Amino acid sequence: MTNFLDAYSIQYWLESCPQGYLVDTEYGRGPDEKEPDLVLEDPILRDAAIRTTVQLVVGERCALASSSGLVGCAPDAPSQCFLATQTLDEARHVEIFTQRLYDLGVKKKELEDVIARYANPNLVKFAEILLEKVDKKDFVAGVVGQNVVLEGMAFSVFEMMETVNRDPNPKFAHTLSGTIADERRHVGFGENRIGSLIRQYPEKKPEIERMQKDMSYFMLATFADNFRSNAMQEEVQHAREELDTGAPAKATWQGVDLSQAEPEEIEAVLSDTILKDFQARLGRIGLEYQTPSKPQAA
Amino acid sequence: MSGPVDDVHALEPEDFIEEVHSFEHWFEAVEGYLQGLDHGHRRDVDDVVLEAPDRDRLVATLCSYAVAETAALEASSGLIAIAPNRHAKIFLSTQTVDEGRHVEVMLNRLRELGVPDPEAEVDRRAGPSVKRLRGKILELVNAREWDAAIFAQNVALETMEYTVFRAHARNADPITKDLLERVLRDERRHIGFGENELGRRIRQDKQRQTRLAAVKTELDALVLQTFEEAMDEIGVPRSDRPTLGRDYLETVDRLGLV
Repeated sequence: MTNFLDAYSIQYWLESCPQGYLVDTEYGRGPDEKEPDLVLEDPILRDAAIRTTVQLVVGERCALASSSGLVGCAPDAPSQCFLATQTLDEARHVEIFTQRLYDLGVKKKELEDVIARYANPNLVKFAEILLEKVDKKDFVAGVVGQNVVLEGMAFSVFEMMETVNRDPNPKFAHTLSGTIADERRHVGFGENRIGSLIRQYPEKKPEIERMQKDMSYFMLATFADNFRSNAMQEEVQHAREELDTGAPAKATWQGVDLSQAEPEEIEAVLSDTILKDFQARLGRIGLEYQTPSKPQAA
Repeated sequence: MSGPVDDVHALEPEDFIEEVHSFEHWFEAVEGYLQGLDHGHRRDVDDVVLEAPDRDRLVATLCSYAVAETAALEASSGLIAIAPNRHAKIFLSTQTVDEGRHVEVMLNRLRELGVPDPEAEVDRRAGPSVKRLRGKILELVNAREWDAAIFAQNVALETMEYTVFRAHARNADPITKDLLERVLRDERRHIGFGENELGRRIRQDKQRQTRLAAVKTELDALVLQTFEEAMDEIGVPRSDRPTLGRDYLETVDRLGLV
């Protein structure tokens, strides 16, 4: 165990993250990068960007609360040290996505109101399920919920968003690429550390599987709300019209050209990708994936 | 990494607090002294072979340091949940990683000194007072007492560590000295946060001072015991011991708690 945890040490983290891919960045992107004028000037696109970014802030606040809450109940010093690095990663994500809200014109005094107004209630419920386990100092369930389910979801969502934004909004795409590198490390820790603990505490399996099912349901419900709403359909249409300055650049992710796909198609490919990844990861740590019921849009 | 603000002192008070508590600010602060290290010390510092009794005393000392740093790691991470605002949460996240780094470098130093299982050694050899102090600090964190826990951790514990590490670094072997001097840079930042946070909150509500004075009274004996235990371990003669009292009292005096 000591050997594999060396790859998750603070020494390793310092070399690869702050002294690695974050060098010469400012709030996770290039110091001179800015939001595209189109996003800042078009009220529909700006509003959509704010709404999307609020969900990222909500998710990252949950991840910060969760990873910091797990430090005190980790069973050994190397796990505590890894979770310390994850705590700061998540705090950085809160900071850079909050900064994006400011960059999009949200006033500092309005920040909490904007977050309260736009936070998706299903995402909030998703977070509450996880934080309940953390409050009970349940390390195994907490790490599965945080590092496998939440981070697994974030990893795929960020990857998809990074692909979509690479051409029209490099600033946001760069912000996302640093967080993707962090999430990859967090998911790796979850998978590697938890397998042995699940074998040690097999009696915890049913409860953890139930948590995964509940969290998956609220994750899918969040996607359903976002992708099936009329506002989303209109925004996508509007963005395509505004951005259509010739042949649009392809943004292919998981075999789908996101620049041309309808919102329902994007929802389907995102949900399928995440659920398949859950299935594979849970299998590797000895848990059986539980299929959630299909949520209806709000 | 280049910081977004050139002169933080030119900022309005609220913006100043947001800036100095940010990840960006932490990053700029640490990059000068954490770049290119191997587990907390420079790679080009030569280790010296210690005499057996000196090595044994250093092992015992590092075991107590590891407990103090673990206390700080658990307390700073635990405090994030009850921090009154986002800026304090972000600062405590930077402190969490600092404290985690300190735990890691202390355990690694034990390994460099030939201890095969540093965690077991820490359990076995850390001083009793530092273990009790850890319990007391975590009690305050678990009771969700923000002011009291910040006082216990960022003022009492960190001031004690600062004084002890500084005294130890003067006479330590080259690797331990280098490692401690870099830890001290972090501790200074943590003490600054504690003092500023509590000072601001006391100005908002003077009644907080009464509760903090009671916590100070409760902790005083234990902090001093832990300090004396540490000084015994590092072999500082009583006549040469720096006055923890002076550093500690200067801080509590600034907070009006004497």
